[in-house]
Amino acid sequence: MPKISFETRGNSLGVNEDVNGAQRKFPHMPIGQAVDMGFTSEGVPLIDPRIFDSGEFGRNPYPYYRILRDHYPVYYDQLHNCYFVTRYDDITESYFDEIGFNTIPKGSSSGVLGNTQLELSGIEHRRRRNIYGRHLVGAALTKRLHALEQIADELISEWWLSANPKEVLINNETGTATIELGKAFANEFPISVVAQVLGIPQEARQQFTWWYDAMMSGLGGSETHHEGLEARQDLEEYVEDLVDQKRNAPTYLTDEAGNNICLDIISELCNSEIDGDVMSTEEITSFIALVVGGGGETTRGAIMNLWYLLLQHPNQFKAVRSDSGLWDTAFHEMLRHSTSIGGQPRHNTNDLTLHGVHIPAGSLIHMVDVSANHDDRIFANPEDFNIFREDLYSGKILRSGHAKEGKCSHMAFGVGPHLCPGAWISQQETVIGSKILDKTLGNVRINYERMPKDIDGVSLAPIGLGSIRELWLDFDLPN
Amino acid sequence: MEDQEKYEIDEEPESAPGYRTYEVYQRERVGETTNLIKPRELISDSYLHDPYPLVGLLRENYPCYRDWLGNRFWITRYDDVTSVFTDDRNYQTRTKTWFYGLQDYGKNLWNEISVQKAFESNVDEHIAKITGEALLNWDRDGFDLAVDFCAEIPLRLWGAILDISDEELNRFVPLFWRMQRGSGWNPIRRKDGLAAVEEMEALLDPIFSKRRNDPSTDFISAIAQVELTDREISTTDLVVTILELDHETLHGGLSNLWFNLLQNPDEMGKIHDDPRMLKYAWLETLRYTPPVLSAKRFTKTEVERFGRLLPEGSLMMCSAAAANRDPRQFNNPDTFIVGRKDLCQREPRGQYRADGLPSGISFGLGKPSIHPAVPKERPRSLYAIVRDCAVTASSMLLEKKPNIKLIDQSSPELKSLLLEEIHTCWELKVSS
Repeated sequence: MPKISFETRGNSLGVNEDVNGAQRKFPHMPIGQAVDMGFTSEGVPLIDPRIFDSGEFGRNPYPYYRILRDHYPVYYDQLHNCYFVTRYDDITESYFDEIGFNTIPKGSSSGVLGNTQLELSGIEHRRRRNIYGRHLVGAALTKRLHALEQIADELISEWWLSANPKEVLINNETGTATIELGKAFANEFPISVVAQVLGIPQEARQQFTWWYDAMMSGLGGSETHHEGLEARQDLEEYVEDLVDQKRNAPTYLTDEAGNNICLDIISELCNSEIDGDVMSTEEITSFIALVVGGGGETTRGAIMNLWYLLLQHPNQFKAVRSDSGLWDTAFHEMLRHSTSIGGQPRHNTNDLTLHGVHIPAGSLIHMVDVSANHDDRIFANPEDFNIFREDLYSGKILRSGHAKEGKCSHMAFGVGPHLCPGAWISQQETVIGSKILDKTLGNVRINYERMPKDIDGVSLAPIGLGSIRELWLDFDLPN
Repeated sequence: MEDQEKYEIDEEPESAPGYRTYEVYQRERVGETTNLIKPRELISDSYLHDPYPLVGLLRENYPCYRDWLGNRFWITRYDDVTSVFTDDRNYQTRTKTWFYGLQDYGKNLWNEISVQKAFESNVDEHIAKITGEALLNWDRDGFDLAVDFCAEIPLRLWGAILDISDEELNRFVPLFWRMQRGSGWNPIRRKDGLAAVEEMEALLDPIFSKRRNDPSTDFISAIAQVELTDREISTTDLVVTILELDHETLHGGLSNLWFNLLQNPDEMGKIHDDPRMLKYAWLETLRYTPPVLSAKRFTKTEVERFGRLLPEGSLMMCSAAAANRDPRQFNNPDTFIVGRKDLCQREPRGQYRADGLPSGISFGLGKPSIHPAVPKERPRSLYAIVRDCAVTASSMLLEKKPNIKLIDQSSPELKSLLLEEIHTCWELKVSS
C-alpha cells in the first residue's frame, strides 16, 4: 500500500489552495477580479465559503457575487449554515412572499435593538408599521424638512468657529480649506436629524450618540455585544421617563420663530391610537433603537458614498451641480452602485427547492440586496456608476417596487412589506444635506494625499461592502 | 404620496388565515451577553489545535450559545448533549449523503443485521493479521505510529472486510479518503468527493455484480444479498453504506490513545501492570480526546430547550469535546486517568449511562433501546467492534514493543486539519 500523506491526499482537482487551516489567507485582487479558487471539470468556478470572512471580500465583493449569480443562484454555505440568494428576480419574489419567507426566527439585530419591525411578520408587523410609518412619509415628512435644513446649516456654521470643533484645516494663503466630510458633517447630521424629529431633548444628544455607537457595534453577537445591550438597557430607562412625560405633555418641532410645526415623533407615538391600540413603552423603545440604527449609519454612508462617487466622475458631478433635480437621480444610482446595507435575512417557512437546491424549512437565507443591484440581468454594466443609465428607475420610492418600460428600481431599501420605512426621510436627508453642502463647497475636489489607499498604495480605497470611512475634501474658502 | 397609500393597501399579500405572526424573539438581558468569546474564535486555527479552552468557556458560561457567525447553537454540557442525541422526536440527523445532496443515490444498509454480522465477523477474523502486517514495517525508515499504524490499520481492514485485491485496495484508499473529506463544508473538496463517489462506484461495480451471483462471506456479498422491497439492490447502496460507516473513530481514536499513553508514563505503567487495562485506556481516550469533536442535529420543529426557544431548522452543534470534560460528570475532567471510577466501563448501546455512570461521547447514539438486554442473535454494536479492534491492535503493539516511547525532543500534538474534521495526532515518531 502506498504511504499515506494526509495533508495533501484527496485533492484530485489540483486546486491551488491553502489545503488546511481554519482561516484561509486570500490574496487581495484587483477590483473586479475574483481569487482563483479552482474550477470544476465543467469549468464552473468554485467558491470557498471562507472568502466571506476575508478582508478581500469586504473590499472587493462584486466579482464573487457575480460568480454566485451566474453559477450558484442559490448557494449553500455549510460553514456558516446558511443559503445565499443573489439574483434580482428571486429576491424580489421572496420579499413579496411574506408567508413563504418569514422573518420570524430572529437574527438581524441579535437582541441589541430589541424586538423590532425587522423581526415581525404579517399582522403584527403591519399593526406597528401603521402606527409609526406615516410619520416618516408624505405630508408628515414634508412638515419636518425644515428641521433638516436647519441642522445642516448649523453644522456647517460650526466649521468657522474659532474653537474649530469640526477640525477644518484653513489655509488663508491659498484661500482653501480641507475637511474630512464624516467628521465635519456626515457623522453627525443624520443622527442629529433623528434626535430632532424623534424629540430627544437637546441635553441628551451627547448620550444619544453613545447609545447609537454602542448599539451599532453590538450587532452581530460579537465581543461588543455586551456594551450594545447595556446601551439598549440604558436607552430604555431613559425612554421610559421620556415617554411618561410625553404621554402627559406632548412636545413639538418648532420653526425659526418658535411656532409649533408638528408633534415630534415620540409624542406622536405616545398619543397615536389605531383601532383602539396604542404602542407600549417597550415597542416605542425598540422603534427608537431601530430608527437610531437604521437612520444613522446608513444615511451617513449614503452621503459619504454619494460625494465620493460623484467626485470621481466629474462630468456627472457637473451635471448634478447644474441641474439640482439630478441629486435625486444620483442618490438612487449611488444606492444601486454602493449601498451600505448588504441584504436581509429570511427563513423559509416550508421545505423548498429553488434552482435545484433543496432548502429545508427554517433555514437562514440571505437575500443579498447588493448583489441584486449588480445583477446584469437587470442593470447593464452594473459595476459602472452612471447617473444617466436608462435601466434604473429613480422616481418616487414605491413599496411595490418598479419594473416597467425597461426601468427597474434598485433593491437598497428592499421591496414589499418590509420596505425600509426610513427610505423617504433618508433620501431627503441625503439630498437636502448635499445641496446645502454644495453651496459651501466651491471648487471641491478629493484630497488624494490624505485619503485611505487601496492595497497598491496609490489608488483610492474602494467602497466595497458598506461605506467609505473617510472622505478628505479640499475646497475654496467662501468669500 | 398617493402611490404609497395605494400600494400599501393594494399590493401587499394578505396573511393566510391562522398564519402565526407572533414572534419568538427573546429578550437578552445585560447579564446574559456572551462577551467572553468572539464567534470568530470558533472558526480559528486555535480551535483546530486546542478546542478545549474555548468549548470549556462555553460550557461554564453559555451552555446554549447562539453563534451568530456560524448560525448555530452550541450545546456543551454533558446532560444537554445527550438529551439532544436521544431525542429523535425533536432533532434530526442529516447524513453525509444529505450534505452531498445524494439523498436519492443509494441506501445506507447498516441497519441490516446480516450486514452488521458480516462486518463483525470479518473484522474479528482479520484484525490480528492486519496488525501483524503493519508491525512488519516497524524497522522501515521513517516509521510513524500515527500514519503507518493508526491510520493504516483501518484502511487495510477495509480491504479485508471487502475482500479486495491489493491492487484494488490501492485504488480504494484514496477514493475512500476523498469521499469522506468531501462531505464537509468545503465545496472544493465536495466536488472532489462527488467525483470520488462516482469512481468508487466504478471500482466496486464489477466486484459487486460478481458477488451478487456468487456470494462469499465478505461485506460486499452481505450487502449484495440484501433484498429491498422497492427495487433491486445496487452498487450505490454499497458505496453509501461505506461512506456512512467511515473509519474516523478507529483511526483517530487509535492515534489519540497512543498519543495519550506515550505522554503519560504513569498511565502507561498501569497497562504494563495489567494489559487488560488497555480497554479502559481506550474508553478514557474517547472521553478525554474524542476524535470526532462534535455532532450536528437540526430541530424538527420549534422547541423550547436550555432556556431558549429554538426555531425550527436550527443547527445544534453538540460538542463532545466540551461534554466529555464536564466537571458535573467527571472529577478532574482535564486529566487522562486510565480506569477512572466515574466513567462507565460497559458498551453503551444507545444509552450513555449503562451503569448509571456517564460514558465518553464519541458516537452520536440514538435514543435508548427499549430492550432490557441486548438480544443474543444481534452482533456487537459498532462501538464495541471498534473498541475491540483498537484493543487487539494495541495489545499486539505493546507485546511486540514493550519499551515503546516517543523519540526524544519530538513534541506531538493533536489537531484537526480543517474545521469539523477529526481531531487527532497526525505524526507520532516512536522508538523501542
